[in-house]
Amino acid sequence: MFFLHNLERTVTLHPSYFGRNMHDLVTTKLVKDVEGTCAGDYYVIAVMDTFDVSEGRILPGNGMAEFTVHYRAVVWRPFKGEVIDAIAQTVNPHGFFAQAGPLRLFVSAHLMPDEIKYDASATPAQFTNNADMVIEQGTHVRIRIIGMRAEVGDMWAIGSINGDFLGCLQA
Amino acid sequence: MASNAPFQFAGDSDSDDENFNPAPAEASDDEDAGVARNASRNDDRRASSPAADDDDDEDEVRPSKSASKRSRGADDEDDEGEEEEEEEDTGANKNGYDDDEEEEDEDDDDDDDVQHRHRRKRRKDHRAAFFDIEAEVEDEDEAEDEEKDGEEIEDFIDNAHPDDIAESGHLDDDRRHRQLDRIRELEDSMDAEKQAEILQLRYGKRAPARGYGEMAVVPKRLLLPSVDDPGIWAVRCKEGKERDVVFSIMRRIEERAGGKDEVPITAAFERGGPNSVMKGYIYVEARRQNDIMIALDGVLDVYPRSKMILVELKDMPDLLRVVKTPNLEPGAWVRLKKPAKHAGDLAQVVDVTENGLEARVRFIPRLDYGVRDDSITADGKRKRPGMPGPRPPQRLFSEIEARKRQPRYIQGNPQTNTWTYMGEDFENGFQVKDIKIQQLDVKDVNPTLEEVTKFASGSEDGTENLDLKALAASLKDSNTNVAYVPGDVIEVYEGEQRGVVGKAINVQGDIVTLRVSEGDLAGQTIEVPNKGLRKRFREGDHVKVIGGSRFRDEVGMIVKIVEDRVTLLTDQTHTEVTVFSKDLREASDIGGQGSLGQYSLLDLVQLDPTTVACIVKVDRESMVVLDQNGDTRQVMPSQIANKLPKRRTAVAADRNGSEIRLDDVVREYGGQQRQGKIIHIHRSYIFLHSNATTENAGVFVTRAGNVNTIAAKGGRVTNQNTGPDLTAMNPALKRNPAQNQMPPPKTFGRDRALGQTVSIRRGGYKGLMGIVKDTTDTSARVELHGKNKIINIPKNDLIFKDKITGKTIDIYSRGGRGGFGGPGRGGFSGDRMGGSRTPMGAAGGERTPAWGASKSTARTPAWGRAEASGSRTPAWGDGSRTVNPYDGNRTAYGDGNRTAYGGATSYGGGSRTPAWSSSAKTPAHDGFGHGSKTPAYGSGGSSDPWGSKTPAYGVSAPTPGATGGGSADSWGYTPGPIDAPTPGAGLSAPTPAALNAPTPGAYSAPTPAAVSAPTPGAWQGGWGADAATPAVGAPTPAASGGYYGAPTPAAYGGAPETPAASGEIRYADDD
Repeated sequence: MFFLHNLERTVTLHPSYFGRNMHDLVTTKLVKDVEGTCAGDYYVIAVMDTFDVSEGRILPGNGMAEFTVHYRAVVWRPFKGEVIDAIAQTVNPHGFFAQAGPLRLFVSAHLMPDEIKYDASATPAQFTNNADMVIEQGTHVRIRIIGMRAEVGDMWAIGSINGDFLGCLQA
Repeated sequence: MASNAPFQFAGDSDSDDENFNPAPAEASDDEDAGVARNASRNDDRRASSPAADDDDDEDEVRPSKSASKRSRGADDEDDEGEEEEEEEDTGANKNGYDDDEEEEDEDDDDDDDVQHRHRRKRRKDHRAAFFDIEAEVEDEDEAEDEEKDGEEIEDFIDNAHPDDIAESGHLDDDRRHRQLDRIRELEDSMDAEKQAEILQLRYGKRAPARGYGEMAVVPKRLLLPSVDDPGIWAVRCKEGKERDVVFSIMRRIEERAGGKDEVPITAAFERGGPNSVMKGYIYVEARRQNDIMIALDGVLDVYPRSKMILVELKDMPDLLRVVKTPNLEPGAWVRLKKPAKHAGDLAQVVDVTENGLEARVRFIPRLDYGVRDDSITADGKRKRPGMPGPRPPQRLFSEIEARKRQPRYIQGNPQTNTWTYMGEDFENGFQVKDIKIQQLDVKDVNPTLEEVTKFASGSEDGTENLDLKALAASLKDSNTNVAYVPGDVIEVYEGEQRGVVGKAINVQGDIVTLRVSEGDLAGQTIEVPNKGLRKRFREGDHVKVIGGSRFRDEVGMIVKIVEDRVTLLTDQTHTEVTVFSKDLREASDIGGQGSLGQYSLLDLVQLDPTTVACIVKVDRESMVVLDQNGDTRQVMPSQIANKLPKRRTAVAADRNGSEIRLDDVVREYGGQQRQGKIIHIHRSYIFLHSNATTENAGVFVTRAGNVNTIAAKGGRVTNQNTGPDLTAMNPALKRNPAQNQMPPPKTFGRDRALGQTVSIRRGGYKGLMGIVKDTTDTSARVELHGKNKIINIPKNDLIFKDKITGKTIDIYSRGGRGGFGGPGRGGFSGDRMGGSRTPMGAAGGERTPAWGASKSTARTPAWGRAEASGSRTPAWGDGSRTVNPYDGNRTAYGDGNRTAYGGATSYGGGSRTPAWSSSAKTPAHDGFGHGSKTPAYGSGGSSDPWGSKTPAYGVSAPTPGATGGGSADSWGYTPGPIDAPTPGAGLSAPTPAALNAPTPGAYSAPTPAAVSAPTPGAWQGGWGADAATPAVGAPTPAASGGYYGAPTPAAYGGAPETPAASGEIRYADDD
């Protein structure tokens, strides 16, 4: 789910940047630093704006200036139980990996409807029920997240396509 | 418990038979129905019944009988519930009051045979004087008849019954016959099912009436013995023969049943067993002690004459308490007691037989394959069988050895590896045998690691070996039951509270206090014994494996739960494992098992001087590594020489000569085209990690020269190590960006770029190919191959390709061999920092790596070049590409190659020199760190560069920092591969020049470069510089060239940009 989130971050600036447009630079640096990162249990998608940049403090020792920046960002936090669309990346006999934006998901073969079977003979390998459902590399799938795990700088989820309207999305 | 007559009461006033009498448990409905039917005939019967006295008789007897029954009901372990008994009693009474003459129409189904018998017997008592003997005989017959109820013979005998005979005079035979016929017709008309039902009603409850089936119905307290019950005596017997004794008692009871000398005891049982405290005794229940004497007189192995112990009333129930035998489950470890040869050996339970008496175990055989099997000793006497002797050591069964000596005794199937040898079964080298559980030590097995390892070694792949080791380790402390800790979510799956789910809030001993979280009891706190509990998880939970499972310490997410088996997907390897829920615990979000000591997953380690490997799996005691050759092996931490720290700055060149670093995404060229992120660079090997495969934790190894860059991580300059990217955002730079950069040197005439095939390496068109249509000084118009479009692109963003081969070329250097000037400049001009290449630029003190700290090196020309075009630095590229190697050699660029060698060797030399040591931080030094670290090398390099090198190399090769050294030494030895690790080298490798240059150098003692023969100018310059700067001390020409020669173009005159210098600088930067 996407949120507009007020966040705070400390940005340090090299002395060579000191000058009139320093705050712009701070913002630029902030954007560069945080956009597209995973902060524990959510991803920072985009920085909307900074609404409060503190005055800089020179850090003793190296001359860098430190700013505390309050900013507003669009963040995406996947939830357990949430249904998201993803693209299958790799398919193996145990299940398939899918990518939903920055989030990697694994859908175990146990978490698929019974009639969906792994077909190793197909090229590329696929999960299929021999009817409308064919999941191979690149297939768009709708997945319900059943478990989440946050690592340092990354997240990881397992999902299920066992349920109504889940699974392969018709093109 | 073995007793043939549980209801036999020695002192009962009734006849024995009566005691055997199964309680007539038929539902009273039947009886009532029968009564009703009989009642319809009562009148005429009464009129003609001759059995009036009988009726009276019954009236008297029945109540007394039912009374006696009632009294018995309390204590005689009757199977019927009290209610049933009551029913029966009333039924019986009814019969009595109704004056029912059942004895006369017993073919009817309303009464059960047993009652008939009693009545008859009672009658016998009354008429004993007349019918004694005959009655006995006939009674027997009748018993048979009753078994064949509804058959003619029964009828016949009924008629022949003495009663009937006695009264035959009064009987209207004809009428009764007809009545009988009618009844039989009625029976015949009923279908078979109905009959079966009736029969079932009649006899169906017989067995339970005698047996122990419905015990559960009776509340236990009513079954407790009282003072009125017979006493139980413990009688000594021979140990181990307890059961036999009881069996012989049983036989005796059967033999003497019904006779005069009936065994006067009511029960006998034993509680023997190897571990029982009650072994050596049998227990006999009887009214009097003397009865036991009589009963056991003459029975073998039992000693009733010794002191008998009367079991106290309160102890009686304990005698019959069922002690659960330790449960053997497949996979459990046990120790053998019985085959003496194997006493004490560890065995693993394969299977347990249904009756729980035997277990199929596998263990390591102790075979001598008949080596000592000379059953006839030297003196011709037959050896005593079972002679102990030294027992053979434990070894897995070997078919070959068995065949060697006794081929006749072996048969089996090589496919399944199952054999039968000397009557014993062997599977996969293990002996498999059914052994009585008594002959197994089940408790306190405590298998040692070695023992279990032996079992594991039988498996063909090493992995299981490890798991079992782990298992062994866990076995030691697995004696404790499942441990619940407060906070566990627990489900009750057994007992009254079954289905309750709650969170443990307290655990004390075996009692777990739960706060119920679901269902009707939600919110309540209940206490439950922990044996009926299991932990409860949900799909998606993040859990860690604890306890005895071989997957201990794996962490993963649950994907499937079936009862208490949980399948989880491990975090580390993305494989699925199934464990019991008791072995799981909710995991914190930090995955475990990533490290063993100082080594953790994906670390690069040095196994031996020539082998490095990446850790792909970490177990408790060992780990699996993938070495540089792509082989996986299992190693112990002790086998690892050291851990190679991750060198953030390590750099390699890909197939195209592009620089690749850690975290870049590359794809294999050819082969499986695997794609992955670089996690380690070691010499020419790169270790990649991919999410696409779970094999080896997604790690694979390949050569740097065998990959194409897919995506380099971020901008090169904004690498964390190089500090903030000052050029990108520095306003000062932005204001007049051109100022710091030298304009490319002018070339004259037609731009060489025109008509060239190029590939675009930056911007939206990155990767596309095209042909240069038009150029200005700075930009080019490129007609794309792929799109029908001509675009403007800065020249700096073009990579010139050979039209035919597609190889990257440097068009400006093409004509360069003519002399130093033009082409050389031209080559550089392609670079952004081209200016650096000019003597002046190079001379800039701040640019020389030697002077600048690492930061300033960032600006050295070489750096600039590296940034701009990776390995295409003209010096290198040029040298390597020169069509005529010799010619090239003579040019400054060609020289570059040589000097580069010289440079390489010079490092060794450099290490010796104080100047170098002091400049230990110079990147160049790092780059060829090994060189400087191996004095032997160094000395060799300086005094006799190649002659003394051979021994030194062995030493230098292993040093981890030997990337540079690798190149250097491989240059010495083998011209080709060396080049791989360094971009420049990579380029030079395929070119004749490169090959040419090193080859002679390597073998003909003096490398041209080192000797400086081919490039007199350069060397001279170098030396000149040296001479000028005594601090450097003449050690290595190239080195000096790098540091002093280069910056001072004046010294060289025409050889300003000694490629050696630039080359060095470049390396320095990379590292």
